[in-house]
Amino acid sequence: MNKLKTTVSGIELDTPFMLASGILDENGYTMKRVLQEGAAAVVTKSIGSSERSGYRPPVIVEIDGKSMINAIGLANPGIENFREEIAIALEAGKPVIGSVFGSDAGEFVNLSKKMEEFGVTAVELNLSCPHVKGFGQEVGSDPDLVSDIVSEVKRSVRIPVFAKLSPNVSDMIEIAKAADKADAYVLINTVKAMAIDIYSRMPVLSNAYGGLSGPSIKPVGVRYVYEVKKETGKEIIGVGGIRTGEDALEYIMAGASCVQVGTAVYSDGRQIFSKLAAQVGAIMDAEKIGSVRDIIGVAIRN
Amino acid sequence: MIHAEVIRIERNTPTVRTLYFRWDYEVKPGQFIMVWVPGTGEIPISLSSIGAEKSITVKSYGPASDAIVKLTAGSRLFFRGPYGRQFSVVNGPILLVGGGSGMASLSPLITKNTDAIVSARSADELLFSERIPEGRIIRVTDDGSAGIKGNPINALETVDTEKYGMIYVCGPEIMLKKVYDFLTFRKVRAEFALERLMKCGVGVCDSCSIDGMQLCRDGSIFSIDDLKKMPEFGRTKLTESGRRVFFNH
Repeated sequence: MNKLKTTVSGIELDTPFMLASGILDENGYTMKRVLQEGAAAVVTKSIGSSERSGYRPPVIVEIDGKSMINAIGLANPGIENFREEIAIALEAGKPVIGSVFGSDAGEFVNLSKKMEEFGVTAVELNLSCPHVKGFGQEVGSDPDLVSDIVSEVKRSVRIPVFAKLSPNVSDMIEIAKAADKADAYVLINTVKAMAIDIYSRMPVLSNAYGGLSGPSIKPVGVRYVYEVKKETGKEIIGVGGIRTGEDALEYIMAGASCVQVGTAVYSDGRQIFSKLAAQVGAIMDAEKIGSVRDIIGVAIRN
Repeated sequence: MIHAEVIRIERNTPTVRTLYFRWDYEVKPGQFIMVWVPGTGEIPISLSSIGAEKSITVKSYGPASDAIVKLTAGSRLFFRGPYGRQFSVVNGPILLVGGGSGMASLSPLITKNTDAIVSARSADELLFSERIPEGRIIRVTDDGSAGIKGNPINALETVDTEKYGMIYVCGPEIMLKKVYDFLTFRKVRAEFALERLMKCGVGVCDSCSIDGMQLCRDGSIFSIDDLKKMPEFGRTKLTESGRRVFFNH
C-alpha cells in the first residue's frame, strides 16, 4: 500500500502534494511537465471571463531567497483561451483543478461550468487574491457574497468545489462558515504585504501592494488550518510556506488532507514535489506512521 | 534590490547604448539581470561585459528601456540577479551569430579565437562589429548598406560551420529558428539564447515558458539538442496574458 496516498473530496492523490494556483500554471505544457515531474495534481492559475495582462513588472520581490511578495495582477488568457491549456495538462493523466476568479456569483458560475466542460477534476474559487480591486479578497471578505457564490457554483456543477479563503480578514471562521457549501476549504492565500526600496525611496512592486508567500507565512497558515478544521470539521487543503517534509506534516497534523506547494518551486525548483514525497516518506517510516490518512488533524485530537 | 552607480555610457548605434557599472559579483556569459527603473518598470537584460566592470547594452523599445537609455553617468542603476543559465565555454575556435541587439549577450564570449556573423537592419545598427577584427567578421544587413544583403543564413552558407568548437546564436526568435533549421542536420555544437516575454525572472509566473521549460530558469540558453525537443520553438509564443499565439513568418 502507498502510505502517501490521500484523498480530498473523493479525489485520489498519489501523494499529498499539489501545485498551488498562481505558480507555473498558466500554460498547459508547464502544468503537464510539473505533473510528470512529481506533483500529484495541479491547480491552474486563476482564470477570469476575459483576457488580462496583469500588472507591469516588477511583479515580484524576493525575500531571503525563500519567501516572496508577488503582485502578478491576475494575468490570464481568459476562459475561452484556456480550453487548450487544460487539454494539454490533462495529457499527464492526473487531476487538474481549475481556479477561477470573478466579481459576482454569476461570473463564478459561468467560469466554473466552463472549467467542468473542459474536463477539470474540481474547481477552486479564488475568494482571496489580495491585490486586485473588485476581485479576490474584496469579494471574499463579504460573507453574504461568499455564501451566494459558493452555493450558486455548487448548484451548477457536478465536480467538487473548493473555496480558497484569505487570511486578510478579521474573522476567517465567519467567512469559512459562509462558504460551508464548498466541498473543501483551501487555506491560506498570501498575506497582503509590501516592500520599499530605501535607495529609490519607492515601493518596489508596480502595484505597491502584493501577497507574501513562502516560509514567512507558514505559522499563519498552520494556525488557520488548525482553527478552521477544529471549528468546522470540513476537509482542508493546506497551503502557505510548505518547503520541507516537516512543513507538510505540520499542516496535515493541523487538519489538512493534502497540501499545495507554490513558492518552494521558486526556492527549490520543480523537483520540490519528488523531494517532499521522499522526505515525508522517510519521516513516516521513522515515526511508524502507516498512512497519511491516519494523521490528518491528529494534533487537534491530541 | 541591488544598486550600482553608472560610471560611463557608450553610444553604440543610433538606438543602442551601453551602460558601465561596478558590481563585485561573478556573472557567467549569457546570464541576465532584471533592471528596475523606479516608477517605470523592470526588464530583463543580458550582461554585455562580465569582468570587474560590468555593462548592459540596451535598445530603446518601451517605457523601461527608454528610461534606461536616458540614464547618465552618476545615475543609480537598480537591478536583481544574476539569473539564467550560462553559455558553455569551450576552447578553440568559436563562431558568434548575432542579430540586432542579440550581439550584447554574445559579447562576453569574444576572444582572439572568435569569428562572428553580425547582422542588423542597416550599417549603422551593426552592434559591436568593431570588437571583431576584420577578416574574422561577416557583416549582414537587411538593406545591403554594409556587407552581405540578406540574413545570417546567407553568411552561414559561406562558412565551414563544422570547424568550430561551438556556435553561439542570439537574436529574434524568427532568426534563431532560421539558423537552427540551417544547422540542425550539420555536425555542429550550437547554443541559442532565446528571448521571450519575461515578468518574474525566477521561474514562477510562467510568462516566458516554452514547451514546459521556463526561459528565465531552464534557459535562456538552450543547446541545439534541447531545441530539437521543443516543438513550440519558432512556432508559438505567449502574450502578456499568457495566451498562445503563432509567430508571423
